[in-house]
Amino acid sequence: MRRHERLIVAAVVLGLFALWEALVRLGRIDPSLAPAPSTVADALIRLAGRSEVRASLGVTAWEVLAAFLIALPTGLLLGFLLAELPVLGALFRPLVNFLFGVPKSIFLPVFILVFGVSIPQKVAFGVFTTVFVLIVGGIAAVQSVPRELITVSRVYGATRAQIIREIYLPAMAPILLESARLAMVFNITAVLLCEIYGARDGIGYRIAAWGENLQMPQLYAALVIVAAAAVAVNEALRAVETRLGAWRQGA
Amino acid sequence: MSRALVAIRGVSQRFGADGGAVTALESIDLEIPNGQFVSVVGPSGCGKSTLLSLVAGLRLPSSGTVLCDGEPMAAPMPRKVGMIFQEANLLPWLSAVDNVAFPLKLRHVAKAERLAAARRMLELTGLAGFEDRLPHQLSGGMKQRVSIARGLVQNPAVLLMDEPFASLDEQTRMVLGDELLRIWSETRKTVIFVTHSLNEAVYLADRVIVLSARPGRVVDDVDVDLTRPRSFAMTAGERFGILKDRIWQHIKSAERR
Repeated sequence: MRRHERLIVAAVVLGLFALWEALVRLGRIDPSLAPAPSTVADALIRLAGRSEVRASLGVTAWEVLAAFLIALPTGLLLGFLLAELPVLGALFRPLVNFLFGVPKSIFLPVFILVFGVSIPQKVAFGVFTTVFVLIVGGIAAVQSVPRELITVSRVYGATRAQIIREIYLPAMAPILLESARLAMVFNITAVLLCEIYGARDGIGYRIAAWGENLQMPQLYAALVIVAAAAVAVNEALRAVETRLGAWRQGA
Repeated sequence: MSRALVAIRGVSQRFGADGGAVTALESIDLEIPNGQFVSVVGPSGCGKSTLLSLVAGLRLPSSGTVLCDGEPMAAPMPRKVGMIFQEANLLPWLSAVDNVAFPLKLRHVAKAERLAAARRMLELTGLAGFEDRLPHQLSGGMKQRVSIARGLVQNPAVLLMDEPFASLDEQTRMVLGDELLRIWSETRKTVIFVTHSLNEAVYLADRVIVLSARPGRVVDDVDVDLTRPRSFAMTAGERFGILKDRIWQHIKSAERR
């Protein structure tokens, strides 16, 4: 975005907050459903100072990270194998495509039965949800490798390992990173869903509790924190993607 | 005549299983002496590109042998044979100089050494000053120059060119043709140049091999007795016309079938 575009976006957002604040103060919006931004900001500062809230955020971050670090290599490796080995692909690709379309949330009760309401349950469900995005992404990444570049490398005497390192990896990098970013969105959603559904700690657990107790300022403050964290992760991954994919411009 | 650098002896190539087998090439015998510029022409689908992939060692012939410098081509030998394709096929994430240095990187040549060699090749192909451009920042003709530089960087004795100028516009083709002749006269490579263009075939080569329609057989072996250096004016000359017509008669009858 250009500088003046950013200024316009910032002005619009500030304007909306000002309008919201004004409507609450004028009694047009019920503050028990939508507290004024100033009240939410107040709650945000108080929450940030409470150690048990910070601990909950830490638990969630840990679950999200663990699930991602397990799902990422697993999913991409499976995707690579399904794309490169015709027999495996013929057997399992229809299954993967079928499962990709099924909402993973319906399996949540099964995960609670198997793992109990625990941190491993959140991680396992996060992996389960995320891995399909990565398998499909891995397959697409392999298919994006130009075959003629492989022929060229063979003419110049490349070994199998060199073809993987010099052609496959750089050619696949943009799609792999894009899949990783998309997978992270699914991953965060899955872990928070688990926490809201049933948990002993984590920011999702607190959001559910504040919601049930109609503690709207805290609820909204938590939403701000989670949204900000998710956007930050997404944008960081996108920045890496843009840097590594610069050669794609005009391709 | 110097001894054959590339020798193709009794080479046939069949594709597919017995029932639906297609014979792409049949009993090809060719001896190409060191330093010769040979064009290969023939009707569409006559196996010209298959012939090149056999000389490149990308596949083994169904029967017969391909020798390069006395050695059978059982696998690609990048230090002996460089290959240039119809599309430049540059690695889009590498700069021009890194693309040219790529074959040396595969052989673990030290970075400074391979970049120096790549710069020399870019200079030879008229691309000094464009070393750091990415492929998408280069025109079609420039990309093909990078590809030629990459084919030459290991100083192979043989350069195989598979319709290298076919996807370029007419002017660029003519300029690159003259550039190729200049590079060839400076480096004295043996060139096997597959093309659809009879003008190009006669203009560039010492000798034109004409293949028949599938299965590809050698139907004529034309000695191009035009003086070097070649010039654009020759293409309007009588001798040029006679040579081109002789080749065209073969192709015309094959395409009509």
